[in-house]
Amino acid sequence: MLLILTVLATALVAVVASRGRLHPLVGGAVGLAGALATSWFFAGCALGGDVIGENTGVQRVLAVAAVLTVGAGLARTVAAVRAGGGTAGDGLLTELRSGMFRTRSWLPWLLLAPTLLVLAVFLYHPAFQTFALSTKLARMGAPRSADVCLSNFAELLVPSPYLVAGLPLAAVALVAGLTLWRARTTAGTGSHTVAAALAPLGPIAVVVALYFVFAPGRTGYRGVYVATVGISLGIVALSMAAGLALAYLVARRFRGASVYRTLLIWPYAVSPPVAGILFFMMFDPTAGVMAHLADVVGLDFPSYRSDGVLAQAAIVLAASWKWVGHNILFYVAALQTVPREIIEAAAIDGAGQWRRFARIVVPSIAPVTFFLLVTNLTYAFFDVYGTIDYLTRGGPSGQTTVAIYEIIRVGVGTGDLGRGAAQSAILFIAVIGLTVWQFRRSEGRITYGGGA
Amino acid sequence: MKNRALCAAAAGTAAALVLSGCTGSSEADTAGDGVVDVWVAFTDDARLGFVEEKAEEFEAAHEGVTVEVQGFDDYETLFQQMQLALDGGDAPEIVHYFEAATREALDAVGPDGEPVFQSVAAATDGREEILGEPVVLDDVVAPAKNYYSVDGEFYSMPWNTSSTIMYGNETLMADAGVDEIPETWQELEDACEKISKLDDGPEACITWPNHSWWMEQAMGQADTDLGNNDNGRSGRATEVELDSDAMVDYLTWWQDLEQDGHYLYTGVQRDWDGTRAAFSAQEVAFLMSSSGDAAAIDDESTDGGYEVVAGRMPYDADTPYGGNLIGGATLWLRSGLDENTTDASLAFLNFFNNPENAAEWHKVSGYVPITDSAVDLLTDEGWFEENPNFKVASDQLDLAADSPASTGVLMGNFVAIRDVVTAAAEDILVGGDDVTERLGAADEEAQQLLDDYELLYSGE
Repeated sequence: MLLILTVLATALVAVVASRGRLHPLVGGAVGLAGALATSWFFAGCALGGDVIGENTGVQRVLAVAAVLTVGAGLARTVAAVRAGGGTAGDGLLTELRSGMFRTRSWLPWLLLAPTLLVLAVFLYHPAFQTFALSTKLARMGAPRSADVCLSNFAELLVPSPYLVAGLPLAAVALVAGLTLWRARTTAGTGSHTVAAALAPLGPIAVVVALYFVFAPGRTGYRGVYVATVGISLGIVALSMAAGLALAYLVARRFRGASVYRTLLIWPYAVSPPVAGILFFMMFDPTAGVMAHLADVVGLDFPSYRSDGVLAQAAIVLAASWKWVGHNILFYVAALQTVPREIIEAAAIDGAGQWRRFARIVVPSIAPVTFFLLVTNLTYAFFDVYGTIDYLTRGGPSGQTTVAIYEIIRVGVGTGDLGRGAAQSAILFIAVIGLTVWQFRRSEGRITYGGGA
Repeated sequence: MKNRALCAAAAGTAAALVLSGCTGSSEADTAGDGVVDVWVAFTDDARLGFVEEKAEEFEAAHEGVTVEVQGFDDYETLFQQMQLALDGGDAPEIVHYFEAATREALDAVGPDGEPVFQSVAAATDGREEILGEPVVLDDVVAPAKNYYSVDGEFYSMPWNTSSTIMYGNETLMADAGVDEIPETWQELEDACEKISKLDDGPEACITWPNHSWWMEQAMGQADTDLGNNDNGRSGRATEVELDSDAMVDYLTWWQDLEQDGHYLYTGVQRDWDGTRAAFSAQEVAFLMSSSGDAAAIDDESTDGGYEVVAGRMPYDADTPYGGNLIGGATLWLRSGLDENTTDASLAFLNFFNNPENAAEWHKVSGYVPITDSAVDLLTDEGWFEENPNFKVASDQLDLAADSPASTGVLMGNFVAIRDVVTAAAEDILVGGDDVTERLGAADEEAQQLLDDYELLYSGE
C-alpha cells in the first residue's frame, strides 16, 4: 500500500515537474531517480513485512528496471532537447549551443565520465546502500537479513509507526506542493490568493511532524533528538560568536598580530578526540586542573560527568574550542574585505564603534557568515564523535548522546547495520533539510558584493 | 552512429573495469604456510608484550612455525575486524573474544556459510600431545571450562579469566575501625557508615564501573538466570529476564548506596579507568574491579603509600548464595584450516597455557591461574602466601555451585544487551528512575535485540 502511494506520489511530482515550465531534463531525472530510489529501498516492503532469508532477485530486477527507466527517460529528454520541442527545450538548446561543445554533446559527458564514475561508485552507491539497509534487520556477519520495511524508522519516530513515518513525508509533500502551486499561479488570480492563504499549512505540518518527534513523555530516541539539537545549536552559536569576536580583535593592525592569529587558529589543527582528552584533563572532577584551582579558592567543583546540563556545556565548550580557529580563519579573511572607506565615512558621520560593527561590518561579511553557518552545522552534526567519546561517552543518562554518536554506537559498536542505517538516513535528511532551509531563508538577504 | 558506438564502448570498458574489481574471489588463508596469526584485544606492553614474548619462545622451539601476534584496542574492534577479514579471506587462525560474545562466536559463519570456529576439544581429538606440547585442556579450572563448554563440547581455550573482587584501602579501613574486608552487602553498608564518619575521609566509600558484568555477577550470587533454557545452557536462550526480583533487589541496593553518598558514580558507563583512578587517589576506600587488575592495583598502592587488601565481591546475606562467575576472554580456533596449521595453532594454545606460562601470566596480571597445575605450581612456590590478594578470585570461583546461574548466561546479541543494562543502571543512578519501571523498559528493549538476533541466526 505504502509502496503504491510512494510510487504514485513520485509519478505525480514527475508529471508536475516536467510540464513545460520546468526543465524537461530535471523533471525527468528527478521523477525517475525518485522511482529508482523507491524501488530500491522499498523493495522489501513490496515483499511483505517479514520475509526471511537471502534477498531474492526481485530487488535486483527492480533496480535494473529502474536504471533502465532512468536511462530511457534521459534518452527521451535528450531527444526532446535535440528536437527543440517546447520553450524550455529551446532554452536548453541555446544554452548548450552557446558553449564549447556545439555539435558533439556527448563529449562533455565522456570527459566527465571518470569523475561521475568515481562519484557513483564511492558516493552514490554507498548512499543507496544505506537507504537499502535502513529497511532491513541486518547485522554485521549475520548469515541472513530480514526485511522490516519501515519499522527501523518507526522505532525512531514512535508513537504510531505508520502515522509518524508518513507524517514527515506528508509534511514535505505538502510544503513542496504548496510552493509549487504558488509558483505556478500568477499573482492577482483567484487561485494564487488561495495558494497564498494555504501557504501556512506547510510550516504547520512541519511543526506537527516535529511535535511527534520531540513530544515529551516517550523514551528511546527522543533523547537523542533533544541532545543533538541542543548541543549542535550550542556549538554553532558559541563557535561562530567567539570566532567573529576574536577575529574582529585580531583583524586590527598591531604589533605581532600575525603571531596572535596563528596561535588562535592553532586549536583547529587539533583532532576532535584530542580536544576531548584536553577538556577531560581540565574538567576532571577529581584530578583535573579546574577542580584543583577551585579547591585552592575554596569552591566545590561540580562533576560535569553526573550532571546532564554541565556535560552538554562541556561538550559545547570543547567542540567550539576545537572549531573556533576555523571560524577565525574565515572571518579574518572576510574582515579584510570590508571597505575601509565606508567605515571611515560612518565614523565621520558619528557612528560609534558598536554601531559600525553591527550595521556595516556584520552585513558586509554576511556571505562568509552564511558559509560558516553551513560548515559549522555540518561540523556540529558529524564531527563531534571523538570529543564526546573521550569527554562523556554519551552520558550521563544519554544526555550527550547526539545523533552521530548513537549511529556509531548502534551501527558500528553493536553491529546493528539496519538501525544504524535508518538513523543515518534521518540525520542525512535533517542536515539536507536544514541546509536547504538556510539557503532559502538567506536568499536575497545576503549581498555577495563584487560586481552584482 | 559511429560516435554512439564509441561512447558505448567507452562506457562498457569503464563498467567492466569497475566490476572486475568487485568480483575478485576471496580465497581463505588455509595454505599450510606454517603461519599462525593470533589476534588479541590488548595493546598495552604488559599484556600484548606477554603474548609476543610467548610467541617468540614458541617459534624458537618449533622450527618452521611462525606466530604473528596483532593487538587491537578492544574486543569490539577485534570482533569487527574479524568480520571484515573473513569477507576479505585473510582471517587469523586464533582470535581473542570476550566471554559475552561466546554465543556469537558459536553462531558466526563465514562467507561460505560454514561456522567460523571449531571446537578445540574436537580438533585435539583426544591427543595427549601436539607437536610435542602436552595438551592442557583437561587441566583447565572448572569455572572456565564450564563457561566455554556448550552441549558438553569444550569449544575454546580460556585465557585471561577473572572474577569481580573487592579491593580495600587497608590504611583507610584501619583509620575508620573496619578490621575485616566486608563480605556481604550488610557488612559493606556498616563499613561505609564508619568510613563516612572519618574526619578528612575519602569522598565516598566505594566505587565500581557501571558494567553489566556486575549485574551478571549479582544474578549468579542470587542464583537467578538471565535467560531461559537454563541461562542458554540447555538450549538457545530466547527469553531474556532483566526485571527479575533479584535484579530489582540489586539495583535498589545500589541506588540506595548512591543516594546515601556511599557509592561514587564517575558518570561514565564501563569506566574501568576512572573508578580505579578514584581508588588510587584514595577518594574511595573500596573498589570493585576485575581480579585481572590486581597487579596494577598493587603497584599503584606502593606508589601511593597505602596498603591494599582484596576480598570477595559482596553478596546479599539475606539471599542464598549461588556463586560468582568468570569474566574475561578466551581464544577461539578458526575452522577450515589444513592439518598442519591446525596442529601448529593447537600446539601454540597448549604451550601458551602450560603450567609455567599460565603461572607467569597470573603473576604479571592477576587473572586467575587457568589450569589446576598452574595453581599447584604457584602454591608450591609459596606465591599465594606472599600475595594473598591474588588468591581471592580463584577461591571465590571455587565457592560457586555448578548451576546455570553461576556458570553464566549464553545469549545472542549479548554485547548489545549489556549496553541496555548499563544504560538502565545509569538512569537509575543519575536520573533517580524507578528501579522496577526502568528495568521493565530495559527488559523489553533487550528482548527486542534478542528476538532480532534469533531471527537472523537461528531463523526462528
